[in-house]
Amino acid sequence: MNAEARSLIFLLACAGLVPAVVVLILHLPKFGAHALPYGDLINNSAPRERHVANAVSAVNFDYRAIDTLGEEFLLLGAVTGTVVLLRSKRGERADAPAGQVEGRPLRPRSDAVSGVTRLLAPVTALFGVNVALHGMTTPGGGFQGGVIIASAMVMVFLGEGYRSWRKSAPSVAFDATEGAGAALYALCGCASLLVGLPFLTNLLPLGTLRDVFSGGLMLIENAGVTLAVAGGFTVLFGEFLEETRVDCRSDDS
Amino acid sequence: MNALPWAVSAWLLAIGLYGMVTSRHFIHLIGCLSVVQAATYVLLLAAGFKWDAIAPIFYSFAPGTPAVDPVVQALVLTDIVVGATVTALLLALALELHKRRGTLDADDLRPLTRERKG
Repeated sequence: MNAEARSLIFLLACAGLVPAVVVLILHLPKFGAHALPYGDLINNSAPRERHVANAVSAVNFDYRAIDTLGEEFLLLGAVTGTVVLLRSKRGERADAPAGQVEGRPLRPRSDAVSGVTRLLAPVTALFGVNVALHGMTTPGGGFQGGVIIASAMVMVFLGEGYRSWRKSAPSVAFDATEGAGAALYALCGCASLLVGLPFLTNLLPLGTLRDVFSGGLMLIENAGVTLAVAGGFTVLFGEFLEETRVDCRSDDS
Repeated sequence: MNALPWAVSAWLLAIGLYGMVTSRHFIHLIGCLSVVQAATYVLLLAAGFKWDAIAPIFYSFAPGTPAVDPVVQALVLTDIVVGATVTALLLALALELHKRRGTLDADDLRPLTRERKG
């Protein structure tokens, strides 16, 4: 199918769909003023029944915890797929430096970049842990904290260069972190099966509202998600970085 | 004002689809897919919005204060994380494709007819 035919079909579909969408938009409930029965129910019961201040975390790790389990394995599957695709042709050798463009000299990093990232990387990692830990009380949690921790790992690469980055952050460590996080989440669900309760039942003591350690099993699930997201995103960054290695482009590799 | 959030969402979906239909480059196509995905974020967050309500976090506000819907926010949160990893998977596919066929234009990739060796 050529580009003109595709555009023509798209325009025809638009001609049919646009009036329907306009009618639909005009008949949707009033923005910001309609009833939210499910949301209100959770907002009322999360602090009371689960002792958790952050209702979004309560949805993610308790009320709809099974969805997060599925999502966790989706993440694991996507990361595994990326790694298998990229690594299968490249192999696991890591002797040539990465981050280069053919025909362009590799300039040494400036002291300013090294200095700033050396200061910022540990602070960023700490901030990520903080955001992840406070997932039950303030905006945050494993997903957000995990991504911040992964970005701290990128800063280590920026400041220290490829070789030191590979030495301090071997990819096998982050592969393991990613898998262990997903496994931890799944095992949290299995714990309640041992005592004859449904999958992912919140067994642990719930703690007190507004306490960092409130939510019982949600805290462990949150830790699993933090590990999986931090590991997964660092692995992804590493794999795409390895693609820029010089020996990847040569024909004999 | 009432229809604006829904219209923004429909517009993002339409412009992303338009980009995908007219795309001549897979990286561009993956970018357009992200735009389509952004339409779902706007739609979900708009559906859970409530005027004069707080974020659904009862740390500095007493439980019982009117708050927006936490369910759609949890959906958007997982949506973003999954979207990012799936984008990475698609980019890896594009990279492999470029290595094998030397092009990222869908029109140059007819199966069986124009196979390029090397």
